[in-house]
Amino acid sequence: MKKLIACFLVLLGLSAHSMAAIDNPVDQVRETSRQIMDVLKQENGKNTKQIRLQVENLAIPQFDFQRMTALAVGLGWRQASPAQQSALSQQFQTLLVRTYSTTMTRIKSAQIDIQPNAVIGNSGREATVKSAVSLPGNDKGPVAVDYTLYKTPQGWKVFNVSVEGASLVTVYRNQFNQEINKNGVDGLIKMLQDKNAALPAAK
Amino acid sequence: MTGKRSMLRASLIAGSLLLAGCASTHPSSPQDPYESFNRSMFSFNDTADRWVVKPAAQGYHAITPAPLRTAVGNFFDNFKDVYSAANNLLQAEPEKALNDIMRVALNSTFGLFGLIDIATPAGLKNNKTSLGDTFAHWGWKSSNYLVLPFFGPSTVRDGLGLGVSLGINGPERLVYHNTNEAIAFYGVYGVNTRARYLDLDDSLYAAALDPYSYIRDGFMQMRARQLGLPNPTQTDEMNIDDLVSSPATASAPASEAAPAAPEASHAEASAAAHAEASAAQ
Repeated sequence: MKKLIACFLVLLGLSAHSMAAIDNPVDQVRETSRQIMDVLKQENGKNTKQIRLQVENLAIPQFDFQRMTALAVGLGWRQASPAQQSALSQQFQTLLVRTYSTTMTRIKSAQIDIQPNAVIGNSGREATVKSAVSLPGNDKGPVAVDYTLYKTPQGWKVFNVSVEGASLVTVYRNQFNQEINKNGVDGLIKMLQDKNAALPAAK
Repeated sequence: MTGKRSMLRASLIAGSLLLAGCASTHPSSPQDPYESFNRSMFSFNDTADRWVVKPAAQGYHAITPAPLRTAVGNFFDNFKDVYSAANNLLQAEPEKALNDIMRVALNSTFGLFGLIDIATPAGLKNNKTSLGDTFAHWGWKSSNYLVLPFFGPSTVRDGLGLGVSLGINGPERLVYHNTNEAIAFYGVYGVNTRARYLDLDDSLYAAALDPYSYIRDGFMQMRARQLGLPNPTQTDEMNIDDLVSSPATASAPASEAAPAAPEASHAEASAAAHAEASAAQ
């Protein structure tokens, strides 16, 4: 049985490899993580702002915020006009960035292990890369972080991130839909704008 | 002890009556029919946290060194391993149960009454399971969301499991002998656990539009994954490809190409921040 599983894993690895001859999602996530951790390690308490900007420049091109926002909104996305969709994406991106850019220096000593085998879905166009993040001082063991990417002409882009099974994207769906049902898509855009305006800008 | 148990029973009955009375006709999530009860319990917990638990945890964090907090956490974990062993047996997992028993044996002796977790480095995996997991194992798969006082996010199934586990005479009775000592025991447990998540509050309130539903939906997704159930947000037969390739978007090229905003997202940071939160369980 174990042998069978091993064979299966090898096959999965091979297929993932051959499918993405140009660039493969696992290598991409691994490389980005490595670059980001290298930058974060230079943080010394004084250069926090530059470090944060550098990390943002590395991370932003890895994401497709439009697709991410569509996933967060769900079926309500169809009601939105193209202009509303890009406004929503813009606001959601700002919210995510503001939220997480302040916490990034906290993980500078984390150990990130990317699993070599991605789970390929949606007839080869989607891949879920699994990783384990160990934080020193967290004695509860490593935390499972999954990135879901899809293939675009510009390469693989992340559109979902989940931690221990909880998606940082779809966790918004009920909140968004509640607002869309009450005040329409414009209501949601306004709500996100207000929320972003109330958040203090990252130092 | 009987006093504590009858109190527990009374509160369980009171709780179920309250729940029945609160079943809302328009829940914002199909898994949350008791939303109005849950919201009031959420704000109760929030108030208790703001005025009592969090200040206590901050004080505790300030005066104790990290190794001591780890030791205290290990001490309580050792008791949980006893329950875990029993539940692994109930789930017909003798190997895992044996693993848990070995953990307790090793940690209670060489680990100085559980203060040092030497079992994990020795290769005995920490695979804790609870009575709620046992209920799920034998078929009680989906359960509605329920916010418990002090313990926070849970489900009806897991809350019942926790209530029963707290009600029976477990090994922790070796440590406390009367109600006051029991309060101290659970008080230290609560404060020590809370001290681990002091950094997290800000990012939660920054991230969430509605902290109540943010925590609820995150918790329900995480719990579904632990139990091997499909992600509850993936049930509405929504295909992401259909959404983004609808005629509406086809005319508007994705705005991802424009890195106009100086801000950017950072997956790893976010992940790790939330990781700490989810490791709470």
